[in-house]
Amino acid sequence: MIALDILLDGLFAAVAAIGFGAISDPPMRAFPRIALLAAVGHALRFCLMTYAEVDIASASLCAAMLIGFGSLWLGRGVRCPMTVLYIPALLPMVPGIYAYKTVFSLIMFLQSLNDPGQGMQYMQLFFLNATVSLSVIALLAAGATLPIFVFNHQAFSLTRRRRPVHTTQTDPARKAEPAQMQKPENPSE
Amino acid sequence: MKTRHELTEILDFIAEYATYLLGSGVHTSRAIRNSQRIGQSLGVDVQLSSFQRSTILTVRDDESGEAITRVVRIPSLPISFERNSDLSALSWDALDDHLPLAEIRRRYDELTAKPLIDPIFVLLTVGLANASFCRLFGGDWTAMAIVFTSTLVGYAAKQRMQAHGVNHFLIFIISAFMASLCASVALRFDCTAETALATSVLYLVPGVPLINGVIDIVEGHILIGCSRLINALLLIICIAIGLAATLLMVKDSLL
Repeated sequence: MIALDILLDGLFAAVAAIGFGAISDPPMRAFPRIALLAAVGHALRFCLMTYAEVDIASASLCAAMLIGFGSLWLGRGVRCPMTVLYIPALLPMVPGIYAYKTVFSLIMFLQSLNDPGQGMQYMQLFFLNATVSLSVIALLAAGATLPIFVFNHQAFSLTRRRRPVHTTQTDPARKAEPAQMQKPENPSE
Repeated sequence: MKTRHELTEILDFIAEYATYLLGSGVHTSRAIRNSQRIGQSLGVDVQLSSFQRSTILTVRDDESGEAITRVVRIPSLPISFERNSDLSALSWDALDDHLPLAEIRRRYDELTAKPLIDPIFVLLTVGLANASFCRLFGGDWTAMAIVFTSTLVGYAAKQRMQAHGVNHFLIFIISAFMASLCASVALRFDCTAETALATSVLYLVPGVPLINGVIDIVEGHILIGCSRLINALLLIICIAIGLAATLLMVKDSLL
């Protein structure tokens, strides 16, 4: 049953990533990879939280780093920058329930100003949920961005046609040459 | 050596290119790198610094030392990852294939004229996505169906309002209010109503400005990074206002 749980978690995360990604108009060729990254990342967080009892913030950081490195690896094949793959893939990990409880406890605090005891309880809930939401969001963004700094040379050239996918579109003589060399104008297209 | 006219043409193109990138949700350092790459392929040095609404850029001819500067407004375009990928690839092609300006301009016009994803397709996938999201938070099938419907209502309203050019803060408040109000019918059913209510507004979360803001800050573009984060925060507050309006109406049945 454990395997099924993990698979289902990955599947729903993939659907969520595709839908939330579609809002930001990604290229059609990127959808399968976005779905894969989201599924793997969310399933990892699910496993860490359910079976290894890691807290939500650390688990999100691990998953975000996995998604970040994955997007570096998968981006080359579809000539997409890392952010195009990892922003949609991170969205299913947004801590929605905590964010909702933050808003809810703030409202309830404002409703219970005449009852200090209950008000304190709601204030405590507000800070608890706000802290979790903020740290998870910050760690998600930071974790996925980390690979850009570690491998900045590779990260900056994902959209380059150096190892061409469509060989007909590029000049074969150019493949082996370093890019910065000055060459005569290339009428290959 | 370039004539002043040629240099101005290059500047005008790079200004349009860079502001288009920044307007469609590309983080600052990528926009700068791509513009400099195109400049390098045309034999000029490009430096630019960007704010939330405008960009200052200078193009300098490497041979003659002549420089021209312009301040350009950043257009407000829909966020588009496809433009981000295509235009980044264009800058590499320009450098690797030594394309002339006319050819770069022709490809740029071609790439920016491509249509966005069909809005109906987006609407349906967003509905499905939010329903799956509800499931991830432990919602049951009834809650998922309710979230699917309320997301359709909220997102369709958002699309209509965007088409009419309504202020985007108002769009977020109204859209969040409508979606959460529709989701509050879950309280009438025997299901995970609180999860449904919490998930119904999450399709509005401004993920792109949030993450771009963090990237910009860690890459040293702290000012524009903070502007992006503040922008995202304002949108999140708008979502909270819309959701709060619903919660105030139904809070008694939630306790």
